[in-house]
Amino acid sequence: MDIVLRAIVVFFFLYVLMRVIGRRELSSLEPFDLILLVVLGDAVQQGLTQDDYSLTGGFLAIGTIALLQLAVSYTNFRFPRLRWLLDGEPIVVVQDGKPLEKNLNRERVTIDDLMAAARQQNIASLDDVAWAVMETSGAISFIKKPGS
Amino acid sequence: MSDIPDRIVLRRHRDLETVAFHRPVRWVLLLLLLAVLVLGLLNVFGQRPETHTVDTARARLELYAPSHLRGGLLYEARFTITAHRGLKDALLQLSPGWNEGMQMNTMEPSPLGQSSRDGDLLLDLGHIGAGRVYRLFLQFQTNATNVGRRRADVSLYDGATKLLTIERTVTVYP
Repeated sequence: MDIVLRAIVVFFFLYVLMRVIGRRELSSLEPFDLILLVVLGDAVQQGLTQDDYSLTGGFLAIGTIALLQLAVSYTNFRFPRLRWLLDGEPIVVVQDGKPLEKNLNRERVTIDDLMAAARQQNIASLDDVAWAVMETSGAISFIKKPGS
Repeated sequence: MSDIPDRIVLRRHRDLETVAFHRPVRWVLLLLLLAVLVLGLLNVFGQRPETHTVDTARARLELYAPSHLRGGLLYEARFTITAHRGLKDALLQLSPGWNEGMQMNTMEPSPLGQSSRDGDLLLDLGHIGAGRVYRLFLQFQTNATNVGRRRADVSLYDGATKLLTIERTVTVYP
């Protein structure tokens, strides 16, 4: 029973943590982020299964997390009113070629980050951008001005 | 101005006028996280040892052990008995909280005998001469499923005479 309870606590702790730290951290996966991800997984595993090396223990932990993920995903799909809470909301960061400083600051995104994301989508200048929206995943979508 | 992308509402997604972008909620959650970490630094969740000392005319007992633990932790309890007067038959009585859900790895030096008294663990240490010091080391590991708070008192006897007691509890976090 303990392992299921621990899996539930770990799942919700990580879920809240990921929502609180913000989407900027979710979008980038630099080498250091990758190392942090491995360290995080190892630290969580210790607390989750502790000295339980059994296959049953592994099934219980993985099964619990998979079911919770399914439950959150279903809730997100079934109850649109809860999406802002579970997934967050997209944020407009550029309108008519002008970066919206307040929104960029909120997500700790610099103009350099924004330009780098634009270049990845073959956009050389923000003047060509009608809208840029930071999605809930942390990725930035660019919509070009007509004729650009 | 170019057409607004579908499903984007300016009031909501540009001006951020919804509870989803309510900064205080994020700050409160971050502060809560910080508070937990600070409590950890302050030893609220273990495992830093503490010293408890009781001194009487006949003997002094110093206990050095953590009172807050977490599942899986290895830890030591050190009992230092200083006999102000000779103790003919020193006995240490440990309440069940010392062993409940704990794995005892070793006890050095081994006592002369072990028994149970009213459900407590009784360790027979033998004779301790006046002015002598007896130091007992107990090494434990906390079982992962052992969660909660229990009494972990220790009493020192000389034969049937109780000399002193250290009253304490041990709290195990999941």
